[in-house]
Amino acid sequence: MSRHAFGSSNRSVVPGYHAQYLHVDLNRGTGSYMPLASDILRRFVGGSGLGTWLLLQHGRPTDDPLSPNAPLIFALSPLVGSPLTTSAKFAVVSKSPLTDRINDSLVSSGFAIAAKKCGCDALVLQGRAPEPSILVIDDGTVRLEPAGHLWGQTCGTTEQALLARFGQDFCAAVIGPAGERLVRFATVSHAGRHAGRGGSGAVLGSKNLKAILVRGTQRCTWAHPQQLVACARELSAKSLGSATAKYRELGTATNLLVFNRLHALPTRNFQQGSFPGVERLAPENLVETRHKTRASCVACTIGCEHIYGVKPDSQASGPQALGQRVRVEYENLFALGSLCGVSDPESVLTASKRCDELGLDTISAGGTIAFAMECVERGLLDAPWLTFGSGSALLHALDLIAARKGLGEALSQGSRRLAATLGPEAMAFAPHVKGLEIPGYEPRAMQTLALGLAVGTRGADHNRSGAAEIDFSERADRHRLTTDAAVLAVESEDRSALLDSLILCRFLRNALDDFHAQAAEMLRFVTGWDVTAAELRQTARRIVTSKKLYNIRAGWTPAEDRLPDRFLQQALPDDPQAQLTHEQLHAAIGAYNRARGWTDEGLLSDQLLQRLDLGEFRLAESVQLPQDGRTAD
Amino acid sequence: MGIRIEFFGVARQRTGTAFVLVPVEGTVALGVLLGQLAEQFPNWAAECLDGDRIRPSYIINVDGQRFVHDPREPIGDHTSLLIMSADAGG
Repeated sequence: MSRHAFGSSNRSVVPGYHAQYLHVDLNRGTGSYMPLASDILRRFVGGSGLGTWLLLQHGRPTDDPLSPNAPLIFALSPLVGSPLTTSAKFAVVSKSPLTDRINDSLVSSGFAIAAKKCGCDALVLQGRAPEPSILVIDDGTVRLEPAGHLWGQTCGTTEQALLARFGQDFCAAVIGPAGERLVRFATVSHAGRHAGRGGSGAVLGSKNLKAILVRGTQRCTWAHPQQLVACARELSAKSLGSATAKYRELGTATNLLVFNRLHALPTRNFQQGSFPGVERLAPENLVETRHKTRASCVACTIGCEHIYGVKPDSQASGPQALGQRVRVEYENLFALGSLCGVSDPESVLTASKRCDELGLDTISAGGTIAFAMECVERGLLDAPWLTFGSGSALLHALDLIAARKGLGEALSQGSRRLAATLGPEAMAFAPHVKGLEIPGYEPRAMQTLALGLAVGTRGADHNRSGAAEIDFSERADRHRLTTDAAVLAVESEDRSALLDSLILCRFLRNALDDFHAQAAEMLRFVTGWDVTAAELRQTARRIVTSKKLYNIRAGWTPAEDRLPDRFLQQALPDDPQAQLTHEQLHAAIGAYNRARGWTDEGLLSDQLLQRLDLGEFRLAESVQLPQDGRTAD
Repeated sequence: MGIRIEFFGVARQRTGTAFVLVPVEGTVALGVLLGQLAEQFPNWAAECLDGDRIRPSYIINVDGQRFVHDPREPIGDHTSLLIMSADAGG
C-alpha cells in the first residue's frame, strides 16, 4: 500500500484539473503522483490528447504492447465532473496488440468521475501484478488484491461482485475472459459499456489485472462556475433538440435501414452493400417483437442506449442463462448481423450479449468471423461449420475466440494475422486497415470515409475520422473520391480529436452551432484559460500529429495507409457506381498528408513539430522512414 | 408514377410510414413538395421542417445519389427522395 503525493507546491493550479497523474507500478503494487505542467494540459487538454502525450512519455513505442513495461493509460479530462452533459467519459490509451500502433478507446460513465475524484487527471499503469489481481485506488491510495474466483468470470458478473464486495460507491473497469486470455480485440468494460476497439482489454489482462476499482473525494474547482452552470443548462437544452432525436428515439441502430438503402451496409464480409435480411434486424421492427428500455450514461441528457430483451441463452450458465437484456448499437447489428449474413435477430442479439460478457469488440469479432466465413466459402480454411448466415456458428465462433480453443486461437488474433497464415489470396479481402477491422461503412460507397479509414492512426475507425458525415452531405460525392475531399477529411478528423480530448460525446456534434467557439467557451469557464476557437483548431492538429508521431516511432510506414485490395480492384457488386481505384486513394492520401503539413508520404518534419508546439519531440529518428519499411501489411 | 418519398429513422417514426407516392407532372420544386408533405404529416413537419426547408438535423437524398437541401431544387417525376437524419454515424 502506498501513497506518494507530490506536494501541491510542485503542481500548477489549473481549475478543472488536478495537474497530476497517478503512476501505478504493478510490479510492486504502488502508486506515485506525478505533476502535469499547465502547458501540457493546455496543449493536450485531456482524454485522447493527454493520453497520447503520456504514452509518448512512458515505455518505448517499439515494445510489445503486451509486455509488462507497455503503459496502459486511463485519461480523464477537464470537463469530467462538470455539469456539462455527456462529459463523464474517459479514454483508454495504449499501444494496440491488434495493430501494434496507437490505440485510444473512449468509454462513458461513472468511472471517469470516480477516477478523477482520486485526485488525478490520468492513471498510468506499468508492470505486471505478480498474480491475477484487482487494482484498488481508494482516494489515491493504491493496493492490489487477489482476483481470486473472479478470474474467468464475465464482465457483468465481475463488476457486480466487486461492487457488492467493496461498496457501491466504487466504480469498476473490468475485463472478461477474452481479456484474461489476451485476445487481441478484448475490451475494457464499465457498467456494460466498453472501451471497445484495439484490444485494451488484452493489455489490462497482460498486466494480470481483472479490474480497476476507483473511489475518491477530491474535487476540482471551476474558474467561472456561474457561467459554466449557465452554459451547461444551454447545452442540456440543445441536447434534447432535433439534432439528437435519432439517438434518443431509435439509437445508432437506425443507421441500418439507411445504409442498406444506400448500399453502404457491409454484408457477407464486404461482398455486398445491402442485406436481404436487414428488415428483421432493424430497430423499427425489433421494438415490435420484444421489450425495450432506454438508458443513459451518468451525466448525460441524451439517453442513446436502447436495451432490448433477448430470449434465455441455453449455452450460458448462471444469470446469463436467464432472460437477458442487451444494448443494441448499429455496429453490433452490422458486425454480427449483415457482415456475417445472419438475419435472425435472436442470434444477433445473443451474439451481442455474448461479446459484452466475454469482453470482445463486436466489430473486430464480427469482422474476423465474417472473413473466416468467406475463407471457408473459398476453400482457404477448413471449418465447414463456419458458414455465412449461421447464427449457431457465429455464437460458437465467439466462444472459441474467447477461450482461444481450436479455430478460436487463430480467430483471436484478428483478420490481419489470420490472413497472413492463409496467403496472398486471403490477404486481399481481409477487412482491416493496420490490423483494425473495418467498421460498418462500405468504403466504396462512402469514399471520403474510405480515405479517413486508410489514414487513421489507429486503423480503420469511423469515430476518429468522422468523415461519414461528409459523404452524407452535399460537400462531397460519396461515389467519387477526389483530392478535394482531403481537406474535409482533415477537418472532420480534427473535430473528432477535439471531442475525444475535451471529452464530449460525439452525439452532441450537430447540436453545437459553432463547435470550436463553444468548446473554447466551455474550456474558458472550467479552466480560466483565455482559450480561443483558433487555439483549439491548432490543438486538434497537434493531437492528431502526436498520434502519428507515436506510430512512426512504433515502426509505421506509408504502406500501411491503404485499404484491402478488394476495395480497390472490384466495384461493389450491388452498386457498380461504388468503385474506388488505387490511384484515386493514393492521390487523396497525398493530399491529406499535405493538408496536415506532413510530407507527401506522411512523414513529419522538425519544422512542423516546432510549429505545432511539439518541440520536445524533435528527434531525428522519429521522422526517418525505415529503409525496409515499404513492404508492411 | 410520381415521386416516391422514403422516410427513415425519426422521419419514419413521425409519419408512421416507410414511404409515400406523390403524384406530379414534370417537375416540382423541393420546397413545394415538402409543403405538400407537411400538410399530410404535420408531426413530421414539426420535427423536420423549418418553413419550406429541411432542418439541418435532417438530409434529403435523391435516388440514392446526391444530397439536396435548396427548396428551389427541381425534383422530377420518377424520382425517389430519401429523408433521413443528418448524423450518418454511430
